[in-house]
Amino acid sequence: MDASNGSAGSAAAQNGQAGDGSGFRLKFCTVCASNQNRSMEGHLRLAQANYPVISFGTGSLVRLPGPTITQPNVYKFNETSYDSIFRELDAKDPRLYRANGLLNMLERNRRIKWGPERWQDWQVGLPRVKHEKDQGSVGMEAGIPDIVITCEERCWDAVVDDLLNRGAPLNRPVHVINIDIKDNHKDALTAGGAMVELADSLNKAALQERDKVGASAFEAGGVAGRASFDERVPEVLAEWQERWPDLPATWTLSWF
Amino acid sequence: MAADTTATAAAAAAAAASASAISVAEQLEQLGAARKLVLENSTYYDRIVKGVLPIIGPTAPLPLRRWGAEFLAESLATPVLSMRDKENITTAVLDTLRGLLEGAAEDPIVLKASIAAAASAYPVALRWIIHNSYHTESWEQMSAIKSRILQIWDGAPAPVKLSCIKFAQRVVLAQTVSNGMEQKYGGLDISLNAIPPNHPLLDPRQLEAEATGLLDRMLGVLQDNSSDVLLVDATINCLSILTRTRPNTSNRILNSMLNFNPLKLANSPMTPKTRVFIKSLEKTTRMFLTHLLRRDPQNPMAGRIQQYVERLMRSRAEIFDDAGRKRALADHAVAASGDTKRQRMEGGVAQVTIPPLGPGPHTLAAVFTLTNNLGLQSFDATQVLANLAGKISVRTLAAMDPQVLDLAVSAVRDRLTSLYAAGAAAAAAQPVAINASTAPLGVEEEDDDYEPDLTPAEDTEQILNKLDNAPPEEPAADAGAAMALGPFKLPPPPTINPEVATKLSQAAASRIFGPLSSLKESTALRKPKAGINRLAASSYDRDSWMTLITRLATRSTAGLEDASSGIKAEDVGGASLGDSIREMVYNYILEDWRRRIEVAVAWLCEEWYNDQLTKRSGSGAPLHYERCALRLVDGFLDYITAQDKVLTRFLAEIPELSGALLGKLKALCADPTTVQLALTSLLYLVMMRPPVREIALDTVAEIWTEYEDARPLAAKYLVKWRPGFIESQTRPAAGDAAPANNNMVIAT
Repeated sequence: MDASNGSAGSAAAQNGQAGDGSGFRLKFCTVCASNQNRSMEGHLRLAQANYPVISFGTGSLVRLPGPTITQPNVYKFNETSYDSIFRELDAKDPRLYRANGLLNMLERNRRIKWGPERWQDWQVGLPRVKHEKDQGSVGMEAGIPDIVITCEERCWDAVVDDLLNRGAPLNRPVHVINIDIKDNHKDALTAGGAMVELADSLNKAALQERDKVGASAFEAGGVAGRASFDERVPEVLAEWQERWPDLPATWTLSWF
Repeated sequence: MAADTTATAAAAAAAAASASAISVAEQLEQLGAARKLVLENSTYYDRIVKGVLPIIGPTAPLPLRRWGAEFLAESLATPVLSMRDKENITTAVLDTLRGLLEGAAEDPIVLKASIAAAASAYPVALRWIIHNSYHTESWEQMSAIKSRILQIWDGAPAPVKLSCIKFAQRVVLAQTVSNGMEQKYGGLDISLNAIPPNHPLLDPRQLEAEATGLLDRMLGVLQDNSSDVLLVDATINCLSILTRTRPNTSNRILNSMLNFNPLKLANSPMTPKTRVFIKSLEKTTRMFLTHLLRRDPQNPMAGRIQQYVERLMRSRAEIFDDAGRKRALADHAVAASGDTKRQRMEGGVAQVTIPPLGPGPHTLAAVFTLTNNLGLQSFDATQVLANLAGKISVRTLAAMDPQVLDLAVSAVRDRLTSLYAAGAAAAAAQPVAINASTAPLGVEEEDDDYEPDLTPAEDTEQILNKLDNAPPEEPAADAGAAMALGPFKLPPPPTINPEVATKLSQAAASRIFGPLSSLKESTALRKPKAGINRLAASSYDRDSWMTLITRLATRSTAGLEDASSGIKAEDVGGASLGDSIREMVYNYILEDWRRRIEVAVAWLCEEWYNDQLTKRSGSGAPLHYERCALRLVDGFLDYITAQDKVLTRFLAEIPELSGALLGKLKALCADPTTVQLALTSLLYLVMMRPPVREIALDTVAEIWTEYEDARPLAAKYLVKWRPGFIESQTRPAAGDAAPANNNMVIAT
């Protein structure tokens, strides 16, 4: 459905609605506190796996560690680019920020998208056609993900609460999944891989649903073997949890 | 404009695609391009949506129907269009939507998306018909769609059901009265308020009735306590806006929520899947309720919600107990290994070298001086203003590397230790000043940590006494000058002789009665809940405290007092702790015995129970129940009046009755006003406590014999319960003993 497919590499695989089933990709959204470490690692990995993906932070401000615990570097969401943060920290104390991994992280982030975005300020369903350079933007043009993955319980709480607050104007179901990831580079890296694995399992279930055609699927509604994608999400998550016991997960079905 | 021509071209291509025989894949590609176009520029929505309708209708191939339904759902929901634009599109697509929904055995994905589209269309169509009542056709279409959806709902597969729930929610939202608290977008603000009472097509009352019915249907999934997690979550997560902005739905929803048990699944075997389910239901429920609490703390149901949430969290903690603990341990491990994100630049601690103190006397300041810098050493810190010094200290401590601080503290401690060692060596030469007899009560000898023992070993008065006896304070002055830091010891307390000890323990015992006057009366409401498994004192109210006291009295020294200790205690003239508390409980009850009769019963029950345990252990320790019961009855018997029915209750409730105890009642019969009370109490025992029936009847008989005035009433009871007794008593007076035997036989 979109012309930029070829430029993004891997064939038409990432096309949101092209073809019947085979090319189908679930659309993801990753969320953490500052849209810097965990959600961005997830964003990158999911994008590399050809999933349409966007990412957000639920905090009031973007907070990055500073020279001491009482002097964090604080930035505004939506108004500060990863690049400007990178340049500022690099000017302040390159040795410190190189050593604690911040510069590497920002370096990575500025190649993924322009800057940290705040979940609460995001208007769901607003077309994201101006984000063509973002990684994972292909297939995300309508700006509505199927699955939201948060990286911390309080982010999940913030997302679910915010969705309750918005009042579900779009009538569109969304699976909100939390994966508890400790906020450090190493754990974010591990969890990024786990996230892709979860995405693959979920996408497989969604593909199976789309391959079922017409009446047979309708009549078999509720039978476990032919259960729908929505029903299988918690099951897939439970199976995934068995493989990743150190990343406790929570799930609910909410609405945009 | 280039884009404009593209749009026209795309729409035209889309339209043409339907006619020509190009493949489905090609058609989808063209449709995709058209979609991209509207996403880029919303002004094309109208044209493109209307353009694709012929391609995606009910007769189109499945891939096109799926694409079409999803495109319609997306377009009708998009936030970029104004309400006017939406009305325009909505009225145009209703026919196609209806066609898709009415297709026999339609694909679930098509249905799911079509119903989602209908959910977005509903408020828009309603608004349209409110303002354009002449246009009945669109409302008829919408009504047909509605009834079709409500008909599909029950038998549909889960994803379709999800959409049906949401559709129903939108209908309820649109057809109930709003309080105007919702945001004005996405049609959320369309409500019953907008419908004029004289609308030719719409009857507000009818619409509201329909909404009420639909809400009940939605809440059914909660009322059934369904374990279908997907549907329950979907329902709960769309109820918030109804509760907040549609007051008429709020009570019904909250009641269903508060009666819903999200942890029901916890009773089934815990597989990974049920774990996800339980966690999901519990968190979703809790999020919803806390969301409401936060936004509407004044809600009259807030108290109940709060309670429910707290209970839920406790239950969840129990269910996921082990999981929580594991996580906590993992976090500790992280804390121990340090936060990798905040790694320090320096490899280790800054090298701070602290010189040891040389030999010879030192000033206190010298002990704490850690720097080698002579200039800094001579700086007089007392010249800094106190508040400034405070600020500096706080800042420094906050910013300081804890390892450096540790280093400094341990350096000072080392200095003090070495000083102490030197002082102790010097002190060893001097005679010990303390009284040897009190030495065992003294503080530990090995007190080389410079940590003052903060436990008060004696009271102020004792310390003052000690100080009076102490030698004059020259050594202290010396210490100040020479800093020969000897071991500091609090003077040991004097020995306590038994009388003082008894007095003190009584004073301690009396203090436990202190809270009784200030504690709240236990709430009567809670009482019925206390089953056999209750804890005796689980809340801090007067009843619980009283339970504690009675147990202290009866059980604290149980097993410690043997037969001989009783005699010994008398010798000293004091009583055991238990006895002194008993004495105080006794006094406490008698202070207001009519109201504290329950306390008396509770106390006696404890005594009786303790006696049973003592008997079983066979230790020969003294028994208390009988003694206490007799003393208590003696205590209040003098004050009893004819109205004191508590007596009956008391006798009925205490665990054991004896002849001696009931004998006390005879005294009541000396007073004609209390005769009836005494006898009815006994009668009650006869009727209600068969084990003591004989003793009670014996007492009645004795009353009959001893008190002339009480005879008429006593006789009445005796005739009924011990027939022949009176005759046997009166006849021997006449000098004939034989018939008594006969009567006894008859009696049995």
